[in-house]
Amino acid sequence: MGEKVQLIIDGKRTDGRTPDEMRDIRIEAGILKEADGSSYIEWGGNKIICGVYGPRECIPRHGASPYHAIVKCRYMMSPFASLEEHGRSGPSRRSVELSKVIRETFENLILVEKFPNTQIDLFIDVLQANGGTRTASITAATVALVNAGIPMKDMVSAVAVGKADDTLVLDLNKAEDNQGQSDMPLAISHKDKKLLLVQMDGLLTKEEIAKMVDMADKGCEQLHEMQSAGLKGVYEQEGKKLEW
Amino acid sequence: MEKKIVLPGEKIADSRINAPNTYIDGNATYAAVIGSVDNEGRYISLENRYKPFVGDTIIGMVTDIRRAGYLVDMNIPHSGLIVSREVRLKLQLGDVVLCRVKMVNEVGEVELGEVRRLPKGKIVEFPTAKIPRLIGRKSSMLNLLKEHAGGDVMVGNNGYVWVSEKSDIPLFLKAVEMMKLKAHTSGLTDEIAAMLQKR
Repeated sequence: MGEKVQLIIDGKRTDGRTPDEMRDIRIEAGILKEADGSSYIEWGGNKIICGVYGPRECIPRHGASPYHAIVKCRYMMSPFASLEEHGRSGPSRRSVELSKVIRETFENLILVEKFPNTQIDLFIDVLQANGGTRTASITAATVALVNAGIPMKDMVSAVAVGKADDTLVLDLNKAEDNQGQSDMPLAISHKDKKLLLVQMDGLLTKEEIAKMVDMADKGCEQLHEMQSAGLKGVYEQEGKKLEW
Repeated sequence: MEKKIVLPGEKIADSRINAPNTYIDGNATYAAVIGSVDNEGRYISLENRYKPFVGDTIIGMVTDIRRAGYLVDMNIPHSGLIVSREVRLKLQLGDVVLCRVKMVNEVGEVELGEVRRLPKGKIVEFPTAKIPRLIGRKSSMLNLLKEHAGGDVMVGNNGYVWVSEKSDIPLFLKAVEMMKLKAHTSGLTDEIAAMLQKR
């Protein structure tokens, strides 16, 4: 750890937000032509592109299940995504972990029993990272899955809550993530309010966690609005997009 | 008609309705894919994945010849099978066939029957959720396309559209592309007709 940095000055955070304010978010659906479903998200300094294929034939064949579809997820950070990634891509400890947690989130949502002996592929590419890529990836991947027309029980959005300078903060940026006291990414489904992802770094009390889940819930409500705006945008703009 | 877009997890009825692309939870029915609901409460999906049912008419392409029969690519995760002892036709790799789904088993493997070979042409992929618009009321859209492109067109339930090589394929593709983008809007047939006439 480097020097101690003051993360909250006069109730404002390093990027000028109040503790329960989110970064600027923009979501677009249906941006890739070849993929069955796709989305693009700009979440503060994060830029993530997501493509969905399937259900399609399971490869390798022995991995298939006659009872349900297999969900596969590949999260990858581009070599140029942030300062820490030094010019190489391919699986790393971090990307394997993130692929796993994202996959498990969606295994609980997709109606996998409808597609036996198949697989559903989820490709997530982080073009630029600035803290909170796993939550942004889950938010974007939901939009891509809905855009692909894959049946799902519910929609999910995710946001991180943390503690910096003894203050609870919503949607951590990179500085707060690295130098803050605690970090807890949460994925909450929209209809049932189920927690589909909980991870935690650092120390928190029981009361703090209860408060943070409430904060995340409010954040996820906002995110759901943006997800639905992105999805509906496909059908509202399409007439205008067309040019011959 | 007023239409509202619903997303997965949104309630579409307070009763248990068994409809495609929905699921039942407790005593209510919820949407499972993005769709639209009109003011009478009818839910139509805007995007979906094709699932074969017995009796569907499909268009496919022969991708493999086995002792038991022919494997057909038909826009589903697995190939469909034409059992060779049940057809008189001798098919070749790359042949385009029009057939009917004879049987679907519990893991989604398909057996095909009533096979007809289609003459030379082109296969175009079309989203299955939007096929009703491609056909139109009483095939109005399809007739319009046949008239202007000047050739035969066949539409399979599986989202493959075959167009004969005699027709004006570039014009056909242009119309199909436009339909894909505007399938959810009303007055589509008139719009396509205007576009075709302009040519």
